[in-house]
Order: sequence, then structure tokens, then C-alpha cells
Amino acid sequence: MSAETLNPPDIRTSAVAAARTTTPRVIRSEWVKLRTLRSTWLTIGGMLFALTAFGLISALTASGQVDATAGQGRPPGFIGTDPVSTVLAGATFAVLIVAVLGAIIGAREYSTGMIRTTLAAVPKRLPVLWGKLTTFVVLIAPVALVGVLVSFFGGMAILDAGGAATVAWSDDGVAGAVLGMAAYLVGLGVIGLGMGILLRSTAGGIGTVLGAVLFVPTLASALLPDSWDDILKYLPSNAGQSFTSLNPSDTLLSPGVGMAVFAAWVLLTIVGAVVALKHRDA
Amino acid sequence: MIEVRNLTKRYGDVPAVDDMSFTVQPGIVTGFLGPNGAGKSTTMRMILGLDRPTSGTAIINGRPYLESAWPLAEIGALLEARAIDKGRSARNHLLALGATIGVGSARVDHLLELVGLAEVGSTSAGGFSLGMGQRLGIATALLGDPQTVMLDEPVNGLDPDGIRWIRTLLGELADEGRTVFVSSHLMSEMEMTAEHLIVVGRGRVLADMAMADFIAASSQNTVRVSSPDAGRLHNLLAGPGVTVSSNDPGHLEISGMPAAQVGEIAASEGLVLHELVDVAPSLEEAFMKLTSDAVEHHGSTETNGMRAA
Repeated sequence: MSAETLNPPDIRTSAVAAARTTTPRVIRSEWVKLRTLRSTWLTIGGMLFALTAFGLISALTASGQVDATAGQGRPPGFIGTDPVSTVLAGATFAVLIVAVLGAIIGAREYSTGMIRTTLAAVPKRLPVLWGKLTTFVVLIAPVALVGVLVSFFGGMAILDAGGAATVAWSDDGVAGAVLGMAAYLVGLGVIGLGMGILLRSTAGGIGTVLGAVLFVPTLASALLPDSWDDILKYLPSNAGQSFTSLNPSDTLLSPGVGMAVFAAWVLLTIVGAVVALKHRDA
Repeated sequence: MIEVRNLTKRYGDVPAVDDMSFTVQPGIVTGFLGPNGAGKSTTMRMILGLDRPTSGTAIINGRPYLESAWPLAEIGALLEARAIDKGRSARNHLLALGATIGVGSARVDHLLELVGLAEVGSTSAGGFSLGMGQRLGIATALLGDPQTVMLDEPVNGLDPDGIRWIRTLLGELADEGRTVFVSSHLMSEMEMTAEHLIVVGRGRVLADMAMADFIAASSQNTVRVSSPDAGRLHNLLAGPGVTVSSNDPGHLEISGMPAAQVGEIAASEGLVLHELVDVAPSLEEAFMKLTSDAVEHHGSTETNGMRAA
């Protein structure tokens, strides 16, 4: 029996002057939530590590500095179709991590019941979504940017040292593809977040995003006849590929159109989350 | 003040809340009493705008909650003690919610002290007991120093010391002029805390009256007698305003006549009494009787529905 439980309650002494609940205040609230979960930082660290470590290792193998293909008789440089995709090889893993992080941020409050506490404090609801989106993007965008830049410049230095083919930042389309990859990562995270809110389930959100990103395009292009390519290139991952790689094939959209299509997918998910959040019982 | 007007919530054809209307006044503790499944939590969620009513409205301090400029300072609510993120500390939980109304660490630390969680405020809430969760929920409810406080089953999981603490706290809040609305499925708990009662069953308001009136209305005594001459006594006692019933031979339940009079009648006829007792029905029983009628009613409509199908 601790002393304070027996003290008569005293609320008046610290009467507070409450401020209006504005969207900036809700963003601030979401920021406190995001930064006070250890999983946020672990996932972001994991994403940065995957992006850079796998990119640099891929550059090392491609330039022959790490002999990963011993006995297979293949020449160095087999990993990527071009130097940019070689050094951005880590994005394959980073994509998974950022989508999972997004889905967790979107769905976590539903699995704990915290969402009802949150929406009771913000009955207008939508500021909560804006808060989650803003804090997620502000947190993840610099990480994605640093990750792709380290991969690019570090990877190119390794390729150069190994005598493999390289491209320069100023070369045609290179900066676009590298920065495009950072944007693609952020966008996929946002899709994950929207899906998490839409489905109210971490597992469901992760499953949907990864399924839509990984399995559907791969499966579809393997199973469907070539005549379907005109449709398949509008899938989020194929649209993403068009502006994150250097030498897009005929089966992909042009970088500009691809980016617009991908942005439309992101927007669609956000609209879905808005409708669900606004109209559903919490 | 909370004003609920014709509030209805249906899930398919089943009404969880069926045309409820009541007003919760400031300055007193109002109990929201009903068995589990009576619609108490659904009503509270609709008051907070978490669930959309099928029809009807809820008004807090004169306006719909959605229009409040500072929701957390308008009404502080504890709905589920476990509705917290277990990966976050109690302090950070309060800081995050406080940020929506610009409330900072000074207030948060004061509240942690108030609810007795100061020592564990920085540890992960995942290790909290149900009682500690309730305390954190109450701290959350008080974050914005709200005019109206609404707590769903706040004594759940608390030890006797904690229950006493809640009672004192609720009384204090009401004395300060706040509107205090507390739900419970236990009459005994309400008896200790509430001045006014809103009794619900099967989504409907069954009684809306001062606690004192509820007690007066439900405390009609009965007299229990056991006697080898129960049969003869039965005939002697029967009369206008008096009901006599017998569940087993040798025992009588009499209402409408004081025990003393029963004894005098028996003595005048020379009847032997083995027992003569005044039985005051508990409020718990009165409450059970009131709500069980609603439950039975529902049971019969369900049967009809099945027959129709």
C-alpha cells in the first residue's frame, strides 16, 4: 500500500489551460507515439542496413572483389543488369522492411485497442491519419535517401576499384533512378500504412502489400501470356521498376508515366484509408 | 453535462441500444448500472463518437463531441484499461495524448503521482496489471482537466485499496462541480459511489432516479415465518394489502405487514413460531429483479423469432 494511493486526490492544483486540438498538435502527438516505440528504430536501422550492406556486397561480388561465383564460370557483373541496379540490390530487402513498418504503424493501434483512446481524443479522426502519414514520411524519407546515396556512391567506388563498369551521378537517368528508388521506398511504406489502417490488421496489411508487390507481379508475368504485359506494367511494383532502374525494357512504362501510376496507387490507398477511418465504428 | 436523446444502435436487426434518453447532471456522481450486455459500453462509445448511432444524438457540455475544440479537455473517458500500446511507457502514453491539447510533462508527472504510477511511469506498460492499467486509464481521462468524466467499469481489477481510492476520487471530482458518469454491473459498487442512478437492461433505460429514491422504492420488507402451524397462520394473516406465500411447508413469506403484528396475531391464537424474521431485500436483488425482467422479455422474443424462421 503506497502512500500516494491514500492521499486525497488533488486535481485542482494543477488545473491546465488546454489548447485547441489542431492538426499540428495531432502530428506532434503521433510523433511522440512513433518515436517512443523501440520497434520503429529497430526497423529503420534494419532498413538502412539492408539497403546499404546488400548494395555494397553486391558491388563487391559484381566487381570480382568478393568471389561469390567461384566455379560457375560466370564473368563479374552478373548480378545487376546495369551498375545502378547492382548497387541498389539492397532495395529488394528494404522494400519488404519499409512495407512491413508502414503496415505496423497503420494497424498497431487497432491490435492493441489504443485506436479508441486515440480517436476519443481526436473525434474528427482524419488528423490522426495526417499525423501518422506526416511523421512516417518525415522519418523514413531521409533514411531512404541516405541509404540509396550511400549505396550508390559507395557501390560505384567499389565497382570502380574492381575495374567493373560504372556510371556517374550526372549520367543520363542515373540521378532519377537513384532518387526514384528512395521515393519508391517511401511510397511503398505509405501503401503499407494505408493498408494497415484499411485492414486494421498488421498481418493483413503486411500480407496485402507484400503480396501485391512481390507475388502478384511475379506470378502474373510467369503465368499469363505476353499479351497481358500491357496491363501488368500498371501494377505498383512494375510501375515502380520503370523509374528506379536505368534501362527499362519494353514491358515497362516510361519513367515519367511509371511515377505517375505509382503515385496514383499511393493516393488510392490513402483515399481508402480516409474513407475507412472516417466512416467505420472504431 | 451529458445529454443522450433517443440514442439507438442496431447491429443488423439486434438493437444493442434501443431508444435511450437520459441526462447526466454536473456536481454529482451518476451511476450507469446494468448487467453485462445491457448496452452500457456501446452507449459510452456513441457518446464519444467512436460508434455511430443508428439514430439519436449525444451532446456533451452543450454541443456534439465532434465539434469540441479540445476534446480531451471536454470529456475524459476510460473505456478499456487494456487499450494501450504495451510497447510504450505510461509516461510516453500520456505525453502522446496530452500533445493533442498542448499538455506537457508537468501535468503528466503530476497525474502519474496522483494515480500512484510515478515509480513505474517510465517502464513499459506491457508489464502492467489490470489494476495499473485502470489507474493509467484514469490518468488519461484526467489529462485535460475535463469538465465531464466518463468511466466504464473503473473498479474492475482494482484491489480494495484501489477501489476505495476510486470512490474518493469520483466524489472529489463531483464536488468540484464536474459531471461524473460511471458504469458498473455491480449494484453494491454503485450504492457506495453514485448519488443518481440510470439503470439499463437490454439497451433500454429501466430506471432514472436518485439513489435514495431507488433504495426507498426497492426496500419493501418482507417477513419470514416458520411455524408448525403455518397453514392456520396463513389464513389468519390474509387480508387486504397483505400477501402471503409459501415455498415449502412450515414456512411463510409475508409482505405488507410488519413482523411485530405477525407475532401478535400468532400469539393471540396461541400458535407456535420457530422463526420470525424481517427480511430487507438487498439493492442487489432489487436491481437483479428490475433487469431480469428485461432479460426474460428478450428471451421470449428470441424464441418467437426462431419459431417464425
